[in-house]
Amino acid sequence: MRSRDGNRTFSLRLCSVILFNSLALNASEFLISYSYTVKDAILHNESLLISKAMQKCSGVQQNSIILNNDGNKDLKQIISKNNEEFINYIHKLGLHIEHNEKTTNYQQASSTTLILKTTCFKVDFNDNFARIAPLK
Amino acid sequence: MKYSLILVALLGFSACAATEPATTEVKQVAPEPTNITVVCPTGSCDKAPEIQKVEVIKPMVPEVQKVEVIKPIELAEKQKTEDDVLEADHNLIIAVVGQGVAPMNTSSPAQAYALAKRAAVADAYRLIAEKVKGVRVDGQDLIQNMMVKRSTVRTSVKAMVRNANIVETTFKEGLCEVEMEIVLSHSDFAQ
Repeated sequence: MRSRDGNRTFSLRLCSVILFNSLALNASEFLISYSYTVKDAILHNESLLISKAMQKCSGVQQNSIILNNDGNKDLKQIISKNNEEFINYIHKLGLHIEHNEKTTNYQQASSTTLILKTTCFKVDFNDNFARIAPLK
Repeated sequence: MKYSLILVALLGFSACAATEPATTEVKQVAPEPTNITVVCPTGSCDKAPEIQKVEVIKPMVPEVQKVEVIKPIELAEKQKTEDDVLEADHNLIIAVVGQGVAPMNTSSPAQAYALAKRAAVADAYRLIAEKVKGVRVDGQDLIQNMMVKRSTVRTSVKAMVRNANIVETTFKEGLCEVEMEIVLSHSDFAQ
């Protein structure tokens, strides 16, 4: 049975559904891992792996970072444009350190690896910026 | 004619010999001023014995610096009091300086700086982990015929560091130094 004020409630409901759907479509979850190795004080390899999550992640959003975005929805491109800023942010989040040093007959060789274990990040894409926050 | 030439040559030679200095001054470093008397060993010298002048140069004696002598027991007590202890009402700041080197095959100075800085940051993180969590050390010596054949020391660090801040970065002659500090509070370790 229709209400007396016509289709007002129906249209409101429809608008809210469209709004929430659009927000949900703009936010997505990504899995990001990062690591680099330093051997004898020289950087050897560095890898930043980004992949879209195929399962829904659980957790609460932690400290977020806002990266400039020109309407782009490709996270890899956004991060590559703001590489230094994002790497500094990852360092702040916390990295695992694995250091091994071997001294044989007073000759030393060392290797240090810094690792961000694969972490789920929630990314909100907007017109001018993208907000990235880890889920924990 | 021949004899006159020989005579002229001899006269010239003797004149050259006469121009050489008869006495020489000898510089020696001696602790005290002394006069050295030269006496002919055979006693057949025609001239009277000459007294050689010896210039005495005082040796440079460095000023003695005052050294504070601390007894071992006092030193141990001093170290005991200076050890950093994390207390509930005080934050603890740990500062380290990490060093990194740029690789040889870099395409530009900017790339060399970026790579060296990354290596220095990793070193600084490692130093913080060593200070906060500690180092595992394993050693092995192989001795054959009472001689050390091989000596091996392995150290390893495993930790997780977050919220470390870079205070200062310097890059000089291919070496990058990153000063990093971390603020530790009691609540970070509360169970």
